[in-house]
Amino acid sequence: MADMYVFETTSLLEQLDQILMKTENESSFAEEDINEIFRTMHTIKGSSAMMGLENMSKLAHAIEDMFYIIREDHPVITSMETLYDIIFSASDLLKAEIENLQEDEYTPTDFTEQMNKIEDFAAVLKGAPPASGEAAAPAEAAPAAPAAETAGAAAPAPAAAPAQPVSASGLTTVKVFFEDDCKMENLRALLVINRISESCAELEYIPEDIENNGDTAQTIIKDGFLVKFRPAQGASTDSIMETIRTTANVKNCEVIERGSEAAAGAPSGNVTTVRVHFDDDCKMENLRALLVVNNVRDVCEDVTFEPADIEDNADTSKIIVEEGFVVRFKSDKPQMVLQVIEGTPSVKSYVVEEAPAPAAPAAAPAAAPAPAAAPAAPAQAAAPEKKAEAPKPAAKKAEAPKPAAESAPAAAAAKGGVKQSLISVNLNKLDVLLDLVGEIVITEAMVTSNPDLKGLRLDNFQKSARQLRKLNSELQDAVMSMRMVPISGAFNKMTRIVRDMKVKLGKDVELIFEGEETEVDKSIIDQLNDPLMHMVRNSMDHGIEENVEDRIAAGKSPKGKITLSAYNASGEVIIVIADDGQGIDPEKVLAKAERNGILTKPASEYSEKEILNMIMLPGFSTNEQVTEYSGRGVGMDVVKKNIEKIGGSVSVDSKFGQGSSFIIKIPLSLSIVDGMEISVGSSIFTIPINSIRQSFKVQPNQLVKDTTGKEMIMVYGECYPLIRLYQLYDLNPNTEDVFDGIVILVETDGKSACIFADELIGEQQVVLKPFPSLLGNYNIKQYGMSGCSILGDGSITIIIDVSKIISDF
Amino acid sequence: MAENTTASRSAYTADGIEILFFNIGEISYGIEIKYVNEIINIEQITIVPKIPDYIKGVINIRGKVVPIISVRNRFGMEEIPYDDRTCIIVLQFDDGDQVGIIVDRVQEVLIAKPGDISKAPDSKNVNANRYIKSIIEIEGDIKLLLDCDKLITD
Repeated sequence: MADMYVFETTSLLEQLDQILMKTENESSFAEEDINEIFRTMHTIKGSSAMMGLENMSKLAHAIEDMFYIIREDHPVITSMETLYDIIFSASDLLKAEIENLQEDEYTPTDFTEQMNKIEDFAAVLKGAPPASGEAAAPAEAAPAAPAAETAGAAAPAPAAAPAQPVSASGLTTVKVFFEDDCKMENLRALLVINRISESCAELEYIPEDIENNGDTAQTIIKDGFLVKFRPAQGASTDSIMETIRTTANVKNCEVIERGSEAAAGAPSGNVTTVRVHFDDDCKMENLRALLVVNNVRDVCEDVTFEPADIEDNADTSKIIVEEGFVVRFKSDKPQMVLQVIEGTPSVKSYVVEEAPAPAAPAAAPAAAPAPAAAPAAPAQAAAPEKKAEAPKPAAKKAEAPKPAAESAPAAAAAKGGVKQSLISVNLNKLDVLLDLVGEIVITEAMVTSNPDLKGLRLDNFQKSARQLRKLNSELQDAVMSMRMVPISGAFNKMTRIVRDMKVKLGKDVELIFEGEETEVDKSIIDQLNDPLMHMVRNSMDHGIEENVEDRIAAGKSPKGKITLSAYNASGEVIIVIADDGQGIDPEKVLAKAERNGILTKPASEYSEKEILNMIMLPGFSTNEQVTEYSGRGVGMDVVKKNIEKIGGSVSVDSKFGQGSSFIIKIPLSLSIVDGMEISVGSSIFTIPINSIRQSFKVQPNQLVKDTTGKEMIMVYGECYPLIRLYQLYDLNPNTEDVFDGIVILVETDGKSACIFADELIGEQQVVLKPFPSLLGNYNIKQYGMSGCSILGDGSITIIIDVSKIISDF
Repeated sequence: MAENTTASRSAYTADGIEILFFNIGEISYGIEIKYVNEIINIEQITIVPKIPDYIKGVINIRGKVVPIISVRNRFGMEEIPYDDRTCIIVLQFDDGDQVGIIVDRVQEVLIAKPGDISKAPDSKNVNANRYIKSIIEIEGDIKLLLDCDKLITD
């Protein structure tokens, strides 16, 4: 269960990053992207809540809310940067939390700070923040809200309430759910009403006819029981909530709209929208409106209003009479401003349409309920109202549920519409399957080349055996393909790193992918993330020039370029990380290597290639300054080690001044190797076929000896060192005569050598098995043996690590 | 010949510890039966280069690559040619690792009662390598119980 959650949420977050990265590049949100982000966060929220991870659920919820606003209101997003920063950091927090979750001792992280940021930004997006009322509705209430509002539209607007000192007093709306299967929900709801009626100055509830209509029980089960109240003198919202909560059979109750006192506590900088109506027939409404604006300007900043041209255009008074006058302002103390408005002559009434979201996280998440949804009618936000003002907003209210009702099923359809054709499988199961296939491959060879069959004429048997072989190889391919995943997943993670570093280092860099659909074994990809990340960081930090001027001076485009490419070549996947930066200065590298004392021969004897590859030696770092990202000298050697662990290799290529590239070669798959079997005495070794260039009998004129008698073989005009396996491994060969045995020319990483063995046995696919742990203690891998395998006849072969042998010889 | 004893993994019966005894030369050694997975005939051992002499190489037991240790070599004794009584006792450890040990011949399984077992002397000179776990006096003979973990680690 937890596994599933971690897996799902991780992939959702990755998806989120991808969408964000894409949209950031295009610097616009397509409708479907917004929907996708919205859905992603919704899913994370839901599953987190299911797992009891409230903090994650709430954070996801806050993001969901923000995107809800973006989706529904299409606000002009003034600061894309802030938006991306906020979502990226939130996504990072969620990812980190998932990591934490996998630790033994998990303590939930407090996300309040991040959530406040999100809410603040959401408020800015909204122009004015969502009416504080909606703010509290958690998402599960979202589908329910439209229904509730539909009913609510019929409810009369609060009439001339006794003016309370708090002013702009609204009703607090609470949604109550009863325990499952408690029956007679309508009567239990009535009980709630009876209990709190004394402490409420005003009280409404939906459904209304609970006393007489038993069917309302169903509505309550489905949508919850909506109670709207204003606390009476001597009672507080909290005490009433407590009363509701303690009523028998109440499962939970939550505030989905808070009264005005909550709005008072709004964080600074949030925008409040107020619609003002003036006394009937007071004339010159436009100038009266101007008076309001001036009064408001005295007490707060950022005042805007609609219609905007009241000062010059007398016709606006008509609009004001009909529509009311809309004032938007930012203030720490909206209550005070409201009092100022109220105190302005001729002001008959005003409605707070959108109040700042309260800071308290519990009340904050603006959950997508219906009213806020309709951008066309901001007035319907079931906001606190004052005085006898309501016909219009109430009428508009009736329209509100419509768009929301439409959007809800649409989202549902989008979710359920895709037929599921993917399943996630535990990698361990695939490992087991692969092992089994390996066994079958071996066993098949055991059966078909069984010594008991020697000399027998078995036509039918051979026919069946061929069929079996064909099926086996298909099975093997199928199993391998199951484990293959495109490398794009690993590449996409880099986009994020480049993005972050771009901002931090102030370098303009574009990241280009090539061949990201190339497929690699899953277990290899998992091992590839860290090395890739390290190298991309290196390219960003050291590769791309610090100053744009340097780039322009060198005749390059001001925008740096990092290219990640992948392609298949001879059973290997080759990944290249190339940048068009300043390149590596071989002299600097050599000088540094000399200083660090890692040279093993005189400096003048090093070739450029050797020098470049020095940067991957332990303890080497050319950057004088350690930065946040790289330069601690544990970089490239760790990369190299990690890549070698998965059977790959890394090399460096660089042209000083023009850029550098790192070339990673990794095997397509870890476990099945196409090998050439060779024998030395009684031992059988396997050389991976992809490193064999050719095998041949040596002619006397090909053998060359150096001054110390070391042998070399001349092939096609080039000389290669001769490695006698029996000497290397202290074995008793059948022949020590170079002209009698066989020589195999092998090549990896651009280095070649000739291996001398008794004879070639043949080509066979072998399943790489690690050495038993008892042998692993003796570090035999450093002698160029990468593992062992069982051959068709049941004998064991040792697989040779060609690159190790060549580099050590 | 394969005398599979995996079924009786419990080393302690009501009467005492079950011990498999084998011979190296004239001396009789025992190992607790809980370690013994099976006993197989000596077969072709694949040499693995660059490992200590006492590890003779690896063999394939039903698809598993199992390292083989020569007890004679481990005890610093002269190695003798394998004959038809030479056996490999395949030991299985708690972590699932299997290791085979080559012995001259397998004798029998006996039950050592708690009273039969005495501790090996704790001395710098005698039993310095601690291969011997305890001394067993059974049916009038004195036999040595080996410590399997010590046998395979340095």
